[in-house]
Amino acid sequence: MASDAFSNCHPATNAVFFAGAIGFTVVLQHPLYIAASCVAGATYYLLLKGRRGMGMVLGLIPVFAVLSLVNPLFNTYGQRVLFTVWGNPYTLEALCYGMAIAGMFAAMMLWFGCYSAVLTSDKFICLFGRLIPAISLLLVMVLRMIPNLQRRARQILGARAAIGKGISGAAGTKEKVAGGMRVLSALTDWALEGGIVTGDSMRSRGYGSGKRTSFRLYRMTVQDWALMAAFAALAAATILAGGTEAAYTPTLSIAAPGWGLAAYGLYLLLPSMLHGKETLQWFISISKI
Amino acid sequence: MRRSKAVSLLIFLAAIPATLWLGMRLEGRWYYLTCTLVIIETMLPFFLAFETRKPQARELVLLAVMCALAVASRVVVLIPNFKPTTAIIMLTGIALGPEAGFMTGAIGAFASNFFFGQGPWTPWQMMAYGFGGFLAGIVFHGKKRPKPVLLAVYGFFMILLVVGPLLDCCTLFTTGSRLTWRFAATVFSLGFFYNLKHALACAVTMLLAGKPLLEKLERLVKKYGMMDARKER
Amino acid sequence: MVHFHIQNLTFQYPNKNRPTLDSVELTIEKGEFVLVCGQSGSGKTTLLRHLKSVLTPHGSRSGEILFDGAPLAEMDLREQAGRIGFVMQDPEDQLVTDKVWHELSFGLESLGTEPKIMRLRVAEMASYFGIQGWFHRDVASLSGGQKQLLNLASIMAMQPQVLILDEPTSQLDPIAASDFLNTVAKINTELGTTIIITEHRLEDIYHRADRVVVMDEGKVIANAEPRKVGKLLWQQSHPMFAALPTPVHVFYAAEGEGECPLTVREGRRWLTRSFENRQLTCLETDGEEGQWEDAPPALIAKELWFRYERNEEDVLRGVSLTVPKGSLFAIVGGNGAGKSTTLKALCGVCKPYRGTVEVLGRPLKSYQPGQLYRRCLAMLPQDPKSLFVKATVGEDLEEMTGDRDQIAGIARICGVTHLLEAHPYDLSGGEQQRAALAKVLLTQPQILLLDEPTKGLDSFYKKQLAQTLAELKAQGMTVILVSHDVEFCAEYADLVSMFFDGQILATHTPRKFFGQNSFYTTAANRMSRCLFQNAVTTEDVARLYRKNQEGRR
Repeated sequence: MASDAFSNCHPATNAVFFAGAIGFTVVLQHPLYIAASCVAGATYYLLLKGRRGMGMVLGLIPVFAVLSLVNPLFNTYGQRVLFTVWGNPYTLEALCYGMAIAGMFAAMMLWFGCYSAVLTSDKFICLFGRLIPAISLLLVMVLRMIPNLQRRARQILGARAAIGKGISGAAGTKEKVAGGMRVLSALTDWALEGGIVTGDSMRSRGYGSGKRTSFRLYRMTVQDWALMAAFAALAAATILAGGTEAAYTPTLSIAAPGWGLAAYGLYLLLPSMLHGKETLQWFISISKI
Repeated sequence: MRRSKAVSLLIFLAAIPATLWLGMRLEGRWYYLTCTLVIIETMLPFFLAFETRKPQARELVLLAVMCALAVASRVVVLIPNFKPTTAIIMLTGIALGPEAGFMTGAIGAFASNFFFGQGPWTPWQMMAYGFGGFLAGIVFHGKKRPKPVLLAVYGFFMILLVVGPLLDCCTLFTTGSRLTWRFAATVFSLGFFYNLKHALACAVTMLLAGKPLLEKLERLVKKYGMMDARKER
Repeated sequence: MVHFHIQNLTFQYPNKNRPTLDSVELTIEKGEFVLVCGQSGSGKTTLLRHLKSVLTPHGSRSGEILFDGAPLAEMDLREQAGRIGFVMQDPEDQLVTDKVWHELSFGLESLGTEPKIMRLRVAEMASYFGIQGWFHRDVASLSGGQKQLLNLASIMAMQPQVLILDEPTSQLDPIAASDFLNTVAKINTELGTTIIITEHRLEDIYHRADRVVVMDEGKVIANAEPRKVGKLLWQQSHPMFAALPTPVHVFYAAEGEGECPLTVREGRRWLTRSFENRQLTCLETDGEEGQWEDAPPALIAKELWFRYERNEEDVLRGVSLTVPKGSLFAIVGGNGAGKSTTLKALCGVCKPYRGTVEVLGRPLKSYQPGQLYRRCLAMLPQDPKSLFVKATVGEDLEEMTGDRDQIAGIARICGVTHLLEAHPYDLSGGEQQRAALAKVLLTQPQILLLDEPTKGLDSFYKKQLAQTLAELKAQGMTVILVSHDVEFCAEYADLVSMFFDGQILATHTPRKFFGQNSFYTTAANRMSRCLFQNAVTTEDVARLYRKNQEGRR
C-alpha cells in the first residue's frame, strides 16, 4: 500500500473524520448527498488500495442493483405504480427509495473499507489504550496469537499428514470433521501451554505491579489540529445549511440542495485531497532533482 | 467495584431509554444508528466491569488464548464454512464463567475483524458472540459438567434462535428501506440456512471436542487457580 | 560487590519425591558473566527461576536468597521487574503484543514510566539492538532469531542490573544463536550488566564466561573458571563433559599438553605449537567409511521444483538426490533454504509441480495415501508437539495402532516406557522428541525422515538419539535427516549433502564432505585443518594427535 497522508495523521483525527463520514452516510437520505458520499468514498478507497481496490468497488455495483430492485418488493408505498408483483404494487417511489438505501449501503461499505485500512490496531490502541487499558491489552494479545495459532494449526495438519493421519482432499466429511477436532484439541493444548509462558513473561516484566502508562506512537501536530477544526467547521456547515431533507414515499419530496452539499463534499474529500497534495509535492520535488 | 456498578445501572436505566426515545422521535433512517448505539451501550457495563477488576496476567492470557483459538479454529477443519468458533466461545463461558464467555466472544469478533475488515456488522457480531458466551456461562457454569449431547443440543438451538438472528439483524437494518414484517421474515429466512450450517458446526464441535476442551480448561484453572483472583475480591 | 547471594537453598516440587535443588550455595558478583550448565533435569532452570520472585515455582523451600544484601522475597515486585530481567526459552510465546514497538515498550508501560522518558528509552534500545528498521512491523513477520532479540531488547529497555537467560538459543538456528549470544556478551562488556545464563550448546559461549557453574541432581558440583571446570569434569569423567566445546574435548581426548584451549582459535594455536618445527608422520585419518556407491537406492528424487504460492519464488529449484538403502543420509545447509520443504516433498506432503520421487522402487504418485505412510515412509516434524493430540503419551501411541506388543517394543527402543502415563506437555524437550519418534515409528516405516532432530536437545539426549538411530539402521531402516547440527552429522551420518539455493549441491561421506569445506564444517576440522587433512570429528583429531606424538617418541 502506498503511503497515505491522512493515514499518517493522529488516530484521533482519523477517528473524528470517520465518525462524521459514516454517521452522515447512514443518516442522510438526500440522493445528491448519497452520491457525494459514494464518489468520495470510492475515490479515497481507490487511493488507499490502488488497483486491488477496484474489485471491491466494482463488486458493489451488482449489490447496488439487487438492493435497489428488491427493496420495492417489501415497501409498497408510493403513488406511481409501475407494475404489480404477487398482487403487490411495485412503485416508482419505492424504487427510488430502494436506490437511495442501496447507495447508502454501498457508501457505508466503502467508508468502512477505508476505515479498516486507516485505523489499524496500532491506532485503536493509541486511542483507547489509556481509557480501557485491560481490554486494549487483551486485544493486542489476541491479535498476536491469531496468526501464531493459525500457523501452528497448519503445522499440526502437516505433521499428521506425514504419519498417515492427514486429512486429504479425498476424505469424507466425517473424517474431515473428526480429524479437524483432533487437531483442535491438540492446538488447544499447545495454545494454553504457550499462554502460561506468556503470562510469566508479562509478570516478569512487571505487569500487574501497579499503575500502567501507555506508549504514545503518535503525536498531535499542527496539521492535525487544523484538520480537526476543518472537519468540525464543515460538519457544522453541512448540518446548519439544511437542504438535506428527502422523503421518497408516499410521494417524492426532495429538497433543493444548497451550499451545504458543497461543505459535505469538501468534508468527505479532505483525506483524498490531502493524499493528492502530498503526491503532487512528491512529484514536484522529484522533478526538481 | 461500586462505582462501575453505579455506572452500569445508569446506562441501563437512563442512557439506553434515552437513546431509544431519541431514536423513535427522529424521522427517517435513524434506527440503524439507534440500534447500534443501544448495542454498544449494552456491552459497556461488561467492559467496564472487566476494566475495574484489573484482571491479572494469567486471566488475561487465558482469555486471549481462547479468543485467538476461537478465531484461528476456522483453519482447522478443511470444510468451507465449518466454524467451531461459537462452540469454543460457549465452552469458554461454561468453563470460566459468563463474563469470560462474553469477553471471549466480543473481543474475538472485534479482533478477527482486524484481519477480515471492520464494518457495520462489527458491533452486532461482538454482541451476538459475546451474548452466546455469556448465556452459556449463565446456564452451565459452576455446575456439574454437562453431557456432550446436551451441549450439542443447547449450542444448536442457541445459534439457530439467538446468535444467528442477532447477526442477521445487521443485514435487516442496513439494507431495508422500511422495517416491515415481511422484509424481516425474508431476511431471517434467508439467514436461516446459513445459521443452520453454523448451528450444525457448533453442535458437532460440542459433541466431539466439548468434553476434552472443558477438561483442559478445568485442568488449567485448577492448576493455576486462574480465575480465582476475582472470587477473592 | 556481591549481587546475588544464594544461601543453602533447598527446594522440592510438591509432586516430586526428591529435592530439585539441594543445598545450593552460590554468590554472583556485579558485572559477572556466569554460565550455569547441567543436564536436563539437573535443576538449573529451577535455580534461575528462584532469582526472580514472580517466576519462583511453588513448593517447599528452605534457605535464603539475598539481592544486594537484602532478602529477595522482601523486595518490591515492581522494583524486581525493573532490576532483574529474565529471558526465557521460547521466542514466540514470550511475546505479549502484536507489534514490535509495543513489545519494546510493554515493560516500561507496566512500570508506569513517563511517556516522554519511555519514548527515549525505547528509541535508545531500538537503535542499540539495530531493530529500528522493523520498529513498526508485526511480530508475526519476524524470524525466530529476531523474535528472541526483540525479547532481549524489550527487557533491556527496563535497564535491568541483572540479566538472566534460560536457554535462550535452544530454539534458534546456529547463526541466529551465535548472533544472539554475541549481543548478550556485548551487553555484558559495554553496559556492565550481570549475566546469568544457561545453555545447551556451549561452543559459542563457554570461553566468554567468567565463571561456570555445573549442576547435577540439584547440587552445584563445580563452580570455577571455564578451564578449571573442564579439567574437573574430565577428572570425574562426568557426563556433562560431553557438552563442553570441541577444543576442550580434543585436548583431553588427545591427552594434550599445555593449557587447555577453549576456542577454535586457541585450539589451532595449541595444535600448531604442539607440532612446531616437527615433521608430521601422519596427516590423514584412516578411519573406515562405508561404501555407498553400489548400494541399492531406497529413495530417488529427480529435479523437484516447488513453490508454496503461485506467485511466490520457487523454494525447490531442481532437487535431485539418491538415498542408498540402510544409510543415514544428512542434508545440511543454511536457514530458510528449503531443507524442510525438501523433506516434505520427499514424503508427499508438499506436491512438487515438476520432477519425480521414487520410493522403494515405485513412483511416489503410484502409492495410495494409506499405503505410503504404512510400512513405507514417515516423517518426524521439527516440533514434536505437533504430533501430540491426546492426554497421555500412551493414548497418543494407541492412536497409531491397537497392537500393544508393538507399542511396548517401540516404546522400549525410544526409551519412553516409563513415560506412557505422563501428559505429553509435562515431558522435557528431549523426552517429547522421543515420544514423538515412537509415534512415528509405529507406522513401521522403512524410510524415516527427520526434520532438525537435534534442535533444543542437550548432548546427552543427542547421544541417545544417535543410539536409537543406529539401532533402527541395524534393523535395515533408511534415515534421512535435515539438520543445522554439523557436529552431529559429521559424527553419525553415512552421507552428507549440502543444500543451497533450492538445490542439492554435493553429496559425500562426512569425512570427505567436511574435509573439503573450510567454513561450513565442524569445529574439530576448523581447528585442525592447518595440520591434518580430513579430521572432522573430535576422535579423528585426537587420534592423529596421539599418533604424531608417538611418532616423535
